Amino acid sequence: MSDRIAKYYPLIPVYSVYLALFLIGKNVPGMWQLIAMLAFYSAIGQAFNIFLGMTGYVDFGYVAFMGVGTYGMALSISHLYHVEWLGVWVVLIGFLLAAVMSTILSILVGAVALRLRGAYFAIATIGVNEGFRYLIEGARIWGGSEGIIFYGQLAQAVGRKTASILSTFWADIFVFVIAGVAAFITLFYMKGKIGYALTALREDEDAAKVMGIHVTKYKIIAFITSASLAGLIGASAWGLKVTNVFPPEVFEIHYTIECIIIVLLGGAGTLLGPVVGGLIYGLSKYWLTVIIPGFQLLIFAPIILIVIIAFPEGVIGVLARRYRGTPLGKFIA
Amino acid sequence: MIGEQLAGNLIQGLFLGGIYGVATMGLSLIFGVLNIVNVGHGAFMMVGAFIALLMFNTFGLNPIYAIPVAFVVGIALGYLFYYTSIRKLIKAPELASLLATFAIGILLEELVKLIFGSEFRGYHWIVERVDLGVTVLPMSKVYALTGSILVAILLYVWFKKTRAGMAVRSVVEDDVGAGVCGVNVGWVYGMSFALGISLTVVSGILLTMFIPVGINPYMGGTYTLKAFVVAVLGGLGSPYGAFFGGLIFGLLENGCYTLFAMIPGLEPFAMTRFFSFVMLLVILLIKPTGLMGTK
Repeated sequence: MSDRIAKYYPLIPVYSVYLALFLIGKNVPGMWQLIAMLAFYSAIGQAFNIFLGMTGYVDFGYVAFMGVGTYGMALSISHLYHVEWLGVWVVLIGFLLAAVMSTILSILVGAVALRLRGAYFAIATIGVNEGFRYLIEGARIWGGSEGIIFYGQLAQAVGRKTASILSTFWADIFVFVIAGVAAFITLFYMKGKIGYALTALREDEDAAKVMGIHVTKYKIIAFITSASLAGLIGASAWGLKVTNVFPPEVFEIHYTIECIIIVLLGGAGTLLGPVVGGLIYGLSKYWLTVIIPGFQLLIFAPIILIVIIAFPEGVIGVLARRYRGTPLGKFIA
Repeated sequence: MIGEQLAGNLIQGLFLGGIYGVATMGLSLIFGVLNIVNVGHGAFMMVGAFIALLMFNTFGLNPIYAIPVAFVVGIALGYLFYYTSIRKLIKAPELASLLATFAIGILLEELVKLIFGSEFRGYHWIVERVDLGVTVLPMSKVYALTGSILVAILLYVWFKKTRAGMAVRSVVEDDVGAGVCGVNVGWVYGMSFALGISLTVVSGILLTMFIPVGINPYMGGTYTLKAFVVAVLGGLGSPYGAFFGGLIFGLLENGCYTLFAMIPGLEPFAMTRFFSFVMLLVILLIKPTGLMGTK
């Protein structure tokens, strides 16, 4: 019994970080935007880590799932705002639609791209992301390149005051909640059969297959989980918070790269890694934007190179190795 | 009427395709030898474009003369990045090399932005035109296609006829085996990376003869994505496959544009891009060795 609980000890530092972030944001005036950004980066890092960190497959089109999630929220609000009895439930429908749409997309993409490996997989996923974006623009689906702007509809559905609170406060809270769920799922997978299967697959896919592990099944499970969480984050942090959606923005490949950097900085395949990575990345990005506006990337690019070459295990990867077996080690995973 | 328009666009597409081909040979060479996808590919093309602009604006030099300069700069950049980062990532997981090359791309873009600013710049060179009946071609495009065919032939000869080219081919076949037979594998890696980068930089110069809107530090992203499609068409890792892949892609792109423009309610530009990525996925699935692949 105590083992089953001890399994979940590593969640303590993760949830403490989120709680601390929330308390700082709530009590220090003017900090909420920064905290929301940090929560967003940590959340998306955690969601991405479930696939990228655990399988070692590089999904370069990950942002597509966030984009589709954003569309889920946008479509729900812009189509259902006049149904009066729905009220605030329209947001819940938005989240459901986001989850369903990103899951469907991930099943489609997974069925095609997960047959490929390594560089071929990465290129295929870029193709999916770009292809989807241009399909929306080219065939003028969902407003085409003009996108959807839905703050007015949201205000009409739930009232102006609620709409404002929803997009400035609750959208960020939902991100915290999704991040917490993502952390739990990560640990659940890590400590269960899925985690062992994925580790085997990451180290040597052919060997894992020969050992009788159904690699495709586990890859798809990780892929769909990760994608649907991304859809929810998109629906909240981009949909509900920004209340507009434009294809060139929500399918921008730079967001995928940000996610990869966060996962790698903190430590791919670890539980605490993406949280730490998200904090480091978010804070340094914020700080660099303040001191040298416009040239953050000039500083970032060499740092990324150094991290990849010198510390490919990331912060938590190094820490976990150092503290393995000590009492502190129980909390790091 | 529409037939004539299609024919004209296809000719334009063929010329553009030649550039796509050369622009992708470097990517395919690097992937073939080092098994690394250069995600910063477009940034190196952008460097070439800025070399052409700089040479033209400050020295009044014809972009053709900028090609040797671009070649040397490319070799230097290639070796610089090879020895500082790529060398340590050859056997690392894809994640590391993909992110590293992306970071190199960003670094180049930001450096150029620091020097030149981010607005679009252009230059005018050769205003003469050739009338082909169905379409009118500026002479600069004719020179660009000639240049790209020359580069492709030179690379082919280098590959097939020189000892260095033979060494590279042996490493592509089997790096361990090549090492055992006395090929300096590390040297081949470095040289292939440098050569791949320099081909890409040179293609950037040829490309400037095609873009009417001018160039800016962020122009490369589009060409990285196009290069992926072209490379897959020609078979990832095969440089001459990439050249023919480029020609095919140029034709398809312009042909599709013309056809999509006839369907009301569609945005032909975006639909063409969509089509190209669908093609990418289909080829990856049914024939990952490329259209001309043998295996």
